[in-house]
Amino acid sequence: MYNNLSNKRSLNKTVIYIILILWALISIFPVYWMLTFSLKTNAEIFGENVAGLPREWVWENYKRAFNTGNMPRYFINSLIVAISTIVITLAASVMATYAITRLKWKGRKRMNSFFMLGLTIPIHASIVPLYTTLAKLKLLDTLWALIIPYSAFSLAMGILVCTGFMGDIPYDLDEAAMLDGCGTWGIFFRVIVPLMRPAVATVGIYTFLQCWNELMFANVFINSDKWRTLPVGVQSLSGQYTTDWGPIGAALSIATIPTLIFYIFMSKKIQDSFVAGAVKG
Amino acid sequence: MKKALSLVLALCMIVALFTVGSTAAYADDDVTLTLWSIATESDSSHQAFIDAIAAFEAAHPGVKIEHVTTENEAYKTKIKAAMSSGEGLPDIFFTWGMGFLGEFVNAGRVYCVDNEYEAYKDELPVAMTGNVRYDGKMYGVPYTMSLITLYANMDLLAEVGYTEIPATYEDMMACCEALKAKGIIPFGVAGKEKWCLSEYVEPLVIKSVGGDKLRDMYNGAASWNDPGVVKAIEAFQGMVDNGYFDPSANALSNDEVKNNFIAGKTAFYQNGSWNNKDIGEKANFTVKAGTFPVLDDSIPLYSMIGGPNNTLAVTESSEHKDLAVAAAFELARFMSDADYKSGANLPCWAADPNAEVNDLIQAAADMASKAENMVLFGDNFLNADAANTYLDYIEMAWAGDVTPEEYVEGLDSDLG
Amino acid sequence: MKKPLSYKLNIFLFLLPALLLFICVLIAPIIMSFVYSLTKWNGFTTPEFIGFKNYVELFTSKSINIFRALKNVFLLALLSCCIQLPFALWLALRLSRPIKGKSALLSIYFMPVLISTVVIGQLWLKIYNPDYGVLNVLLRSLGLDSWTRIWLGDKKTALAAAFVPVLWQYVGYHMLLMYAGIKGVPTDLIEAAMLDGATDSQISRYIIIPYIRPILRVSVIFAVTGSLKSFDLIYVLTNGGPSHATEVPSTLMISMLFLRNRYGMGSAIAVMLIVLCFVFALLINMLFKEEK
Repeated sequence: MYNNLSNKRSLNKTVIYIILILWALISIFPVYWMLTFSLKTNAEIFGENVAGLPREWVWENYKRAFNTGNMPRYFINSLIVAISTIVITLAASVMATYAITRLKWKGRKRMNSFFMLGLTIPIHASIVPLYTTLAKLKLLDTLWALIIPYSAFSLAMGILVCTGFMGDIPYDLDEAAMLDGCGTWGIFFRVIVPLMRPAVATVGIYTFLQCWNELMFANVFINSDKWRTLPVGVQSLSGQYTTDWGPIGAALSIATIPTLIFYIFMSKKIQDSFVAGAVKG
Repeated sequence: MKKALSLVLALCMIVALFTVGSTAAYADDDVTLTLWSIATESDSSHQAFIDAIAAFEAAHPGVKIEHVTTENEAYKTKIKAAMSSGEGLPDIFFTWGMGFLGEFVNAGRVYCVDNEYEAYKDELPVAMTGNVRYDGKMYGVPYTMSLITLYANMDLLAEVGYTEIPATYEDMMACCEALKAKGIIPFGVAGKEKWCLSEYVEPLVIKSVGGDKLRDMYNGAASWNDPGVVKAIEAFQGMVDNGYFDPSANALSNDEVKNNFIAGKTAFYQNGSWNNKDIGEKANFTVKAGTFPVLDDSIPLYSMIGGPNNTLAVTESSEHKDLAVAAAFELARFMSDADYKSGANLPCWAADPNAEVNDLIQAAADMASKAENMVLFGDNFLNADAANTYLDYIEMAWAGDVTPEEYVEGLDSDLG
Repeated sequence: MKKPLSYKLNIFLFLLPALLLFICVLIAPIIMSFVYSLTKWNGFTTPEFIGFKNYVELFTSKSINIFRALKNVFLLALLSCCIQLPFALWLALRLSRPIKGKSALLSIYFMPVLISTVVIGQLWLKIYNPDYGVLNVLLRSLGLDSWTRIWLGDKKTALAAAFVPVLWQYVGYHMLLMYAGIKGVPTDLIEAAMLDGATDSQISRYIIIPYIRPILRVSVIFAVTGSLKSFDLIYVLTNGGPSHATEVPSTLMISMLFLRNRYGMGSAIAVMLIVLCFVFALLINMLFKEEK
């Protein structure tokens, strides 16, 4: 009887493992595919050898991608935009969430719904009004023209996630801090902010993804080569009627690999911060 | 330690941000003109633009041209957003003629170059400026023109006994049938990109109703409900039903279709003459460039779809209009010549008669010189809204969702 | 107790950065969009006020066929809630238990989210390619030649084929969100339940899932509104085709704004989308509250 049960369990476990690994393969395939096609000739990409390893390793593709435009500069621009956006989004959303969930005032529910409106706005719909506004503020063709809209569009999600996490922080802590003589700001900085670390990771990743691959704003709001971001740089590799996919694949890889390394490196840290947050909470 | 690090990082960022957006200063008497185009680094005209700008800067000391390139589809969004707000516009911009430029002209954003044109009249024939004239006034400087060209893989045609591109419609269909019987796909087309379908439909239409009538139809002066158009759509749908097009067409992009032709997978590829350079350089079989035979014997064979199209225009908001106009004309003259010699496309400006050019561009030039009538691509001719409705109908004809009669009636009622 | 003025000032100061960003970048353009939606405007000339004519045309025009686009995104939202989210939750629950190679799997599952839409789109275009795509090649090698299709080019299969990558890409995202929530569940709660002899599935059902409700709410709202305004991948894969079979409101909006130069109509679609997403977000919020 016992034996039977344990057999069933291990069978169950095997099935689960198979599903997990299968899904891992499905998830990792694009990276593999991208890396291999970045090293192939057009003929191989367009049919002769779609999914296999490159027959002839065309490192030339990477050379061409790097020599086209100013990839390192685009990369740094993308990084500045991403980090600034994350910082602004986090600061603004943690502060707003605090006001909405921990401070008591009339209309805070309505304020929350108001911010949730941000989840519903398709980013592409506002391009023309935004363009006009940014032009009037003389912010066109600067990185601010990307940082500000990206932050604003990430804000709703930031507040939503923060609300979930901040609701979990016991109110006793606020009261204890108040008895210790902390004011509104004191509670915010001493109690809330340290406990928001798990939310920081989640919001940070979300915001990063929002702005790292965004193409349409980046394309329309930036003119100068020196402020271009990676997606635009990659896009500009494809011409009007001619497309050479090898170098484009190389450029895509250049744009993606650092993200992947960053994530793999960070994912451990993120998990740690989750655990730390859970223990303290 | 950690805090110090994050503080340093934050400071770096702030410094970085405040330097973001400062523009490099030039000496007081220097002028910088901004040029927007679609000639990205992989575009076949990219080098020609660089050379043209260098030549202009050499001839005008103290003037610099800043060239901002954007990929084709993204460019349309970018220029429209800028034109719409009127802010941040360049001095000179690339545009297509007729419908595309027309909406900017109507909005008063484009500078009229009539006066300056006088000086260039001998080199840029008036006949080439028709697509950039609105109410008779000229608003742009064309540099190259494109024609719909029928590219044929002569090695594959030889397998079914043809040494020339079939000259009559009946012969063409017989050739397709023979190719199909041998397991060779006659035509490559990108069903995913509607404009590629129009590259097959429009030659059929013009070779059935003639250029003048087609132009009237675009202008709204003639009804689409014409037996000739019905006949052309019937012919098109007949070719679809007979399986003369790649059965995978709906899944393919134009790049893939062109690559298929270059790889010898399809016998014909009908598309714009801007493909000359790509096909000429990459295909390792005998390629011939020709034109589709006529459907109606009373129509001249060289009734062509295409015309002067790639254009440079100057914005009304430019602060240095004189220089910008001069640059537009001189860049256009240079580009016309450079693109012709490199085999990228046909010139609008008087070409060097002794220039050595590749066979395909020579064939295209011959067709252009023999052309009795030339009508611009429908999606360029019409305004944006009408052009997309028109392309929708072409797609419906392709998918068999409309009969030829429904096609002409629909165009009549919806293009109005 | 009356709140002192400084308290109110503090509230305002805490809200200020978010409000400023929000009003300037999101609300002002929406208001402008709403104004544009009442006009006939090609984006360049002077807008002509036409009242609600755009909305009337939007909901009656046969050629725009907004209901087909709406039907498509509602289907996507439904699939997202019924397949994508449960699977993501299952993965998150599995990975939150001690399991070999956990952190590697966690990282791998999230990878599709990190990769740009252009690459994802190209990958799936290749997978679906009728001649040499992985899918048809696989079917042929299994002797199922009659099952092969021009997946994205056939009106019957295009919608399903376009939805699969959309659902696939964001499984990892929802999984991570839920995983973060599960990690926040106090360990003593779980330990106590285990001491009481609760099985894994009981712990999941009665402790973890109720505890991560706020996260689940976020996931559902994100999945539904994300579906309603889905754009990027569909644009790359089919751009609404073939013959508009995969049209969604966002692709219609973009074609009105940037292809047809109909800013009035494009703005009307934008306003409709905003209202729709907002209503659904509120509904989901209410649903989650009521159950509590």
